[in-house]
Amino acid sequence: MAFPHRPDAPELPDFSMLKRLARDQLIYLLEQLPGKKDLFIEADLMSPLDRIANVSILKQHEVDKLYKVENKPALSSNEQLCFLVRPRIKNMRYIASLVNADKLAGRTRKYKVIFSPQKFYACEMVLEEEGIYGDVSCDEWAFSLLPLDVDLLSMELPEFFRDYFLEGDQRWINTVAQALHLLSTLYGPFPNCYGIGRCAKMAYELWRNLEEEEDGETKGRRPEIGHIFLLDRDVDFVTALCSQVVYEGLVDDTFRIKCGSVDFGPEVTSSDKSLKVLLNAEDKVFNEIRNEHFSNVFGFLSQKARNLQAQYDRRRGMDIKQMKNFVSQELKGLKQEHRLLNIGACESIMKKKTKQDFQELIKTEHALLEGFNIRESTSYIEEHIDRQVSPIESLRLMCLLSITENGLIPKDYRSLKTQYLQSYGPEHLLTFSNLRRAGLLTEQAPGDTLTAVESKVSKLVTDKAAGKITDAFSSLAKRSNFRAISKKLNLIPRVDGEYDLKVPRDMAYVFGGAYVPLSCRIIEQVLERRSWQGLDEVVRLLNCSDFAFTDMTKEDKASSESLRLILVVFLGGCTFSEISALRFLGREKGYRFIFLTTAVTNSARLMEAMSEVKA
Amino acid sequence: MDCYTANWNPLGDSAFYRKYELYSMDWDLKEELRDCLVAAAPYGGPIVLQNRVLDARIFHTEFGSGVAILTGAHRFTLSANVGDLKLRRMPEVPGLQSAPSCWTVLCQDRVAHILLAVGPDLYLLDHAACSAVTPPGLAPGVSSFLQMAVSFTYRHLALFTDTGYIWMGTASLKEKLCEFNCNIRAPPKQMVWCSRPRSKERAVVVAWERRLMVVGDAPESIQFVLDEDSYLVPELDGVRIFSRSTHEFLHEVPAASEEIFKIASMAPGALLLEAQKEYEKESQKADEYLREIQELGQLTQAVQQCIEAAGHEHQPDMQKSLLRAASFGKCFLDRFPPDSFVHMCQDLRVLNAVRDYHIGIPLTYSQYKQLTIQVLLDRLVLRRLYPLAIQICEYLRLPEVQGVSRILAHWACYKVQQKDVSDEDVARAINQKLGDTPGVSYSDIAARAYGCGRTELAIKLLEYEPRSGEQVPLLLKMKRSKLALSKAIESGDTDLVFTVLLHLKNELNRGDFFMTLRNQPMALSLYRQFCKHQELETLKDLYNQDDNHQELGSFHIRASYAAEERIEGRVAALQTAADAFYKAKNEFAAKATEDQMRLLRLQRRLEDELGGQFLDLSLHDTVTTLILGGHNKRAEQLARDFRIPDKRLWWLKLTALADLEDWEELEKFSKSKKSPIGYLPFVEICMKQHNKYEAKKYASRVGPEQKVKALLLVGDVAQAADVAIEHRNEAELSLVLSHCTGATDGATADKIQRARAQAQKK
Repeated sequence: MAFPHRPDAPELPDFSMLKRLARDQLIYLLEQLPGKKDLFIEADLMSPLDRIANVSILKQHEVDKLYKVENKPALSSNEQLCFLVRPRIKNMRYIASLVNADKLAGRTRKYKVIFSPQKFYACEMVLEEEGIYGDVSCDEWAFSLLPLDVDLLSMELPEFFRDYFLEGDQRWINTVAQALHLLSTLYGPFPNCYGIGRCAKMAYELWRNLEEEEDGETKGRRPEIGHIFLLDRDVDFVTALCSQVVYEGLVDDTFRIKCGSVDFGPEVTSSDKSLKVLLNAEDKVFNEIRNEHFSNVFGFLSQKARNLQAQYDRRRGMDIKQMKNFVSQELKGLKQEHRLLNIGACESIMKKKTKQDFQELIKTEHALLEGFNIRESTSYIEEHIDRQVSPIESLRLMCLLSITENGLIPKDYRSLKTQYLQSYGPEHLLTFSNLRRAGLLTEQAPGDTLTAVESKVSKLVTDKAAGKITDAFSSLAKRSNFRAISKKLNLIPRVDGEYDLKVPRDMAYVFGGAYVPLSCRIIEQVLERRSWQGLDEVVRLLNCSDFAFTDMTKEDKASSESLRLILVVFLGGCTFSEISALRFLGREKGYRFIFLTTAVTNSARLMEAMSEVKA
Repeated sequence: MDCYTANWNPLGDSAFYRKYELYSMDWDLKEELRDCLVAAAPYGGPIVLQNRVLDARIFHTEFGSGVAILTGAHRFTLSANVGDLKLRRMPEVPGLQSAPSCWTVLCQDRVAHILLAVGPDLYLLDHAACSAVTPPGLAPGVSSFLQMAVSFTYRHLALFTDTGYIWMGTASLKEKLCEFNCNIRAPPKQMVWCSRPRSKERAVVVAWERRLMVVGDAPESIQFVLDEDSYLVPELDGVRIFSRSTHEFLHEVPAASEEIFKIASMAPGALLLEAQKEYEKESQKADEYLREIQELGQLTQAVQQCIEAAGHEHQPDMQKSLLRAASFGKCFLDRFPPDSFVHMCQDLRVLNAVRDYHIGIPLTYSQYKQLTIQVLLDRLVLRRLYPLAIQICEYLRLPEVQGVSRILAHWACYKVQQKDVSDEDVARAINQKLGDTPGVSYSDIAARAYGCGRTELAIKLLEYEPRSGEQVPLLLKMKRSKLALSKAIESGDTDLVFTVLLHLKNELNRGDFFMTLRNQPMALSLYRQFCKHQELETLKDLYNQDDNHQELGSFHIRASYAAEERIEGRVAALQTAADAFYKAKNEFAAKATEDQMRLLRLQRRLEDELGGQFLDLSLHDTVTTLILGGHNKRAEQLARDFRIPDKRLWWLKLTALADLEDWEELEKFSKSKKSPIGYLPFVEICMKQHNKYEAKKYASRVGPEQKVKALLLVGDVAQAADVAIEHRNEAELSLVLSHCTGATDGATADKIQRARAQAQKK
């Protein structure tokens, strides 16, 4: 179990430097407002902030009280208020209401707004419109990369997905470019760059511009990471929409891993308290099971528990020295508590997932991926909706059906939507409009069903220069072509007999041997060829003919070790299943993958981002 | 060698002064110097001749150059910085009826004072007061001061009296250094200090019409004859003397030169120079000299001396022979760091170039070091000596951003001012020279062109700017907003796009603004995002103008949830939405919206009639709520009205009745007609409510395909086994087997195994 890395696997760069950088910068910013101050933190920034600077560090720098930015009047009585927020208009309104209330009360305080990771002109505009631009001072906390694990960097920008892929808003692309620039400043240039997707290309070009402007800084540095691969989420929606069955993904689907940690409720801790647990490579037990198919995990954990009991029994007859050794070596390293928690989590998952429902669900998903029994799957989805199982799950299955089938046939498209509206409420009419725009839920044979404006706009998109201009409707012109791609890239492995999930033979193990994640397969293929050569047809089917690129510089400075390190950048989020699959590929080929994502995502998060809920 | 010291003049016992020609003057001077007010900048700086006289003194402090003016009313006005002309009037001098016989500016503790002489008295004038001062040790009998001079560093002061007596002391007037009596009573034309850092013997140079005298703390002075009107310029390390036809430099011979060239000097540098000369003559004496230096262990010092002395030589020949000697000496040293030699060669090359009379910047080595290469380059640039400046940068290998690029940019800024050259030619010339040299900002040059009123040229130049972001601010300034917008979009900087958008919004009327947006999808989505949060009405207008009925429909739907409280308002908003959907030919959405309107009205009625919460429930939940409330008739009616499919209705009722645990009604319902969803769900839901008794009732009605599952659910393993065996279905058999537990189902398990074995035989 827990396959070790090959002995020649390269060492990962030390990403803790990113944390130190972020912390130092934050402290510097806090000290720009000397004296006691209250800090208002946006809810979304709390967990990331906690990973960078804990409360005691904040207190050391004269932060008095901490408040959450929410739609309530603030009770702070401090003379200095500091706001740590994402650059969002609603935050500006909140701050404005606070400052204006002070003004009405004839009160003067000092206000400072720290935008993370950067400030947007639109925000300053709103401050100006609200008449408080002169009353507040603005700063930027360029904290855009949070190392969640030794091989996982997250920008913690879940809104990237909706903003870009639904609204066509490109503001975050620059942030991505800045983050990449920071990485190349710290870890040397990347000799080999590959990418696919419109956003990937734009981010790459902006990043290149940044490097050129600051010429010389990275020049002459030895590259630490040999390859970088940028990939848009919309290149592969299918993988992100599948139920996850690898342990870490399953924990994410079931309990929601937030910023690298998870809140285990009473049903897991077997007490009446909830417990927050950090999940990463430092937790040895977790590290051994995170990438495993869940069917293996429970057995593995029970075995471990038994071993521990056996060792524990062995302590009789030890002398003091042996005992000491035992305690420090065995117990400390194993973190019994976490093991038990994992068992608890696992039991809880097993309870939910081994039920027939889950088996049926997985069966349906596999049928959709393989493209057989479509009618049966459609009925299954209909029943799912009729029974009001879960709005998000129903939506997910509908999208999966749509993408794998190149859109729903008009009859199903109408009837499923009608059923859905009847079950979950009419406001989802807007959700469907969103899903269509993003290309997640469409109707077969478009053309005539597009409104005049939409087809005009989509034509405009195809006419415009590649990479420079995008539009919210761009995806309307696309077809997903999943079936053809699947055939080309051999995504559905032919299995003779049982797929042994204990000894996986390919990346398909992350979906029970039924499907190789498309995103990971693309990465594998390109790395093998060191280019897109021979993948023209696939690229065309992915609607990315203008957005697949390779850029190589001379490799003479790159060590052979660095050439086996690959940074994969997911624009719009990546799932734990994809991470596990690539970790597996890395072990097979002697690579190590490093993941940079705008946020860790899963099917539920994607669907929620597209859903319209009543205010 | 012998003649080298010919122009050396001893002053006192230890120091020598020498005067040599820098170059002869090639200026086209019409007036005599005496007719002009002359000002010359130090560090070999430019010379200004002015024939309108206004008595003024320029002085230099850490804060820049200041100027002091004596006005016609005999009042002094002072400005500490000519760049920032803030004039400050000094207090009145009591009893000053006519111009003082002489005056100067002293700088002490960063404050400028004025020292002036009236008859036999000296006054010190500061911002607050005017006080009389007396220099210590001043010889008696003075009835007036004719000249005064303050040194380059403002540390020393010299006074010339009507008795031909010169007093030299500190500028603070606290200490006397020395005095000298020259016995010439005629007022000197000019008097300046001549000293250098670490001077051995400071001196004052006094000039009359045809006579120049160098005096110091020595009984004898040095005297020169002046052939023409001359003017003295005090420098950091000497005095420049120029006249109509010539330009000379007078200074105290620097230490290194003195060591080497003093007659019969045995200094290591002198010996090394000698050794090298002998070596060139292939004489063995070379070895003797060298040995002598080495024995004393002074070779390093000798090399250093030669290098240093080379720096102080004006003639390239002499520089060369000293450097050759240093180079020769270096050969015999193991580890002599090469920097000083290399840098001296480079510096001298630069100095010789700027000393050429065409350029006319006669800098000495010390001045050059004090001035720095950057300032020298600035001066060359100011004088538009671009090629020389670039050559120097290239020769010294200065980083492009500080060096060549900067100069080229200056050149280009000058070039755009040439109004007689056409826009095309200027743009092309600039691009040819600059290419894409790093550090050159085409937008800066374009801004300069725009500043000169050449908008077209500016736009042409901007085309060469590789960073589209840099083009935007100027384009906006030039009112080329649409071009600015496309450039901003190219840059990928959304903030920049937004800036331009707001510009455009104010500049254009609404229709044109929307038209512009329409052609720029990226800007449009950005602006839409902004409007969604800040200007909802504008968003609607945007969709309207694009005839985007689909989005308009969505807009009104959203409004029906967010903006409207009253049911009538909500229905009206939905109606607008439905109309828009019809226009968008989205029949589905239109119908769904109309259904929603009906549902809303109906929910409202239900609330009125039955009480409870119905508004905003989904159709499914509305029906469920009705059943849970016992309003079965109403539920049926609603299901019919909204054409709820049978399957859904069955699921719905099943779930609701089980929730109510109304088993009787459930059974009645199950028998009302054949279930469209089968009977397994009945079994499942009963088991979920832990009612095995009821579950079993339905298990018997489950169709054959799901029978095994149903039987297993109610825990009847034995019967499940029988059915599975009957079906001869391997999957079902293993399913049952997996449900067999230990003791109780032993017999069943055996039975299955037997059936399996039998099946395999066949």
